Amino acid sequence: MSYVHPEYLVDTEWVAAHLDDANVRIIESDEDPLLYAIGHIPGAVQVDWFSTLQHPLRRDFLTKETFEEVNSSLGIANDTAVVFYGDKSNWFACYALWLFQYYGHQNVKIMNGGRLKWEQEKRPLVKEVPSYARTTYKAKAADKSIRAFRDEVLKQSNGKKPLVDVRSPKEYSGELISMPAYPQEGATRGGHIPGAVSIPWAQAVNEADSTFKTPEELRALYEGKNIKSGEEVIAYCRIGERSSLTWFVLKYLLGYRNVKNYDGSWTEWGNLVDAPIEK
Amino acid sequence: MPIPPKLQEIVDDFASMSREEKLETLIAYAESFPALPDWLKEKRDSMEAVPECMTPVFLFGEKQPDGGVHFYLDIPPQSPTVRGLASILANGLDGCTPEEILTVPGDFYLSMNLQEAVSQQRLNGFVGVLAHMKHEAVRLLENK
Repeated sequence: MSYVHPEYLVDTEWVAAHLDDANVRIIESDEDPLLYAIGHIPGAVQVDWFSTLQHPLRRDFLTKETFEEVNSSLGIANDTAVVFYGDKSNWFACYALWLFQYYGHQNVKIMNGGRLKWEQEKRPLVKEVPSYARTTYKAKAADKSIRAFRDEVLKQSNGKKPLVDVRSPKEYSGELISMPAYPQEGATRGGHIPGAVSIPWAQAVNEADSTFKTPEELRALYEGKNIKSGEEVIAYCRIGERSSLTWFVLKYLLGYRNVKNYDGSWTEWGNLVDAPIEK
Repeated sequence: MPIPPKLQEIVDDFASMSREEKLETLIAYAESFPALPDWLKEKRDSMEAVPECMTPVFLFGEKQPDGGVHFYLDIPPQSPTVRGLASILANGLDGCTPEEILTVPGDFYLSMNLQEAVSQQRLNGFVGVLAHMKHEAVRLLENK
């Protein structure tokens, strides 16, 4: 058995062989943006999940126009193969990939194992920031079929349809909300969305080298919790980044047709007046 | 409330730097992190786990004979931003008394304009580490 859409995944060897490929752009997207400055894959550019990909004012993503500007300035054309990698088992790489898909970029890939595997294999990291000839990128209208908003999530919960909570078990149980050090990412209530099953994101990756588990293991993991391919599935976490990894696994590695990421996640739901909560 | 002189000096230095200099200096702080002495390793290992989104920050304050506090820190190298921010605080507050540490205003870093180098969101790391240091200062005042 292989992944359903293996073209969305490349290994470190493939990336090493395509460092000078003009049709490929490698993007580092990290939880900690300083890692790029300390050393990155030669030729890779950086997008930051916060300063690049978020709207500067509202809690939302950058606009379509800003997305076009970002891509144009990074020398990305509409048909460029964009390969994402990053720290923390590719959380933020998957988040960036999801957002590229949101604005219609089709040719996207994740480097399996991310930064950790590249480092483990002692492949080169450089400090030099590359620059590429500007392009004129044209984005598509936002694809809302991969993004869930709160009203849909409520309907999904009331309709007893599949919801996956990918946070750690203690966040699911409501024991933890977030650390006091991160007040903006906090929530006033703990627990989970009624009906959501707990499948922590980390169960989809191998701890040793951050690569994804085998198709068999992944299928057993999600189907074992009754998350099956026929129905619409919504995944969420705390701010929508860990759940974009689960979204990637369900959509491309397992081939589920209808998967959405609820980026509002617990920092919205746990603050939402009148929202139902289960503990 | 006054910012202790050493910390104020670091804040002023950053305020006058370009974005690139800020990044380089922050990286230098992150990379100049001393290793945790052996006698604290057991204490670190018994530290409560943090939710997986967060960076585990181990911090221990030790009162010196002159009454000043020295902080020992351990933060994984995979989190250079938090390491850099914590290292700035550990340097800036080294030798301060617990009372002085407790008076450091929570927004001391605003004039550093660090948000142009790392996002505003990440600067919450400062708030977290400072809160942790104040917690240690209270423990030392209570002589625990």
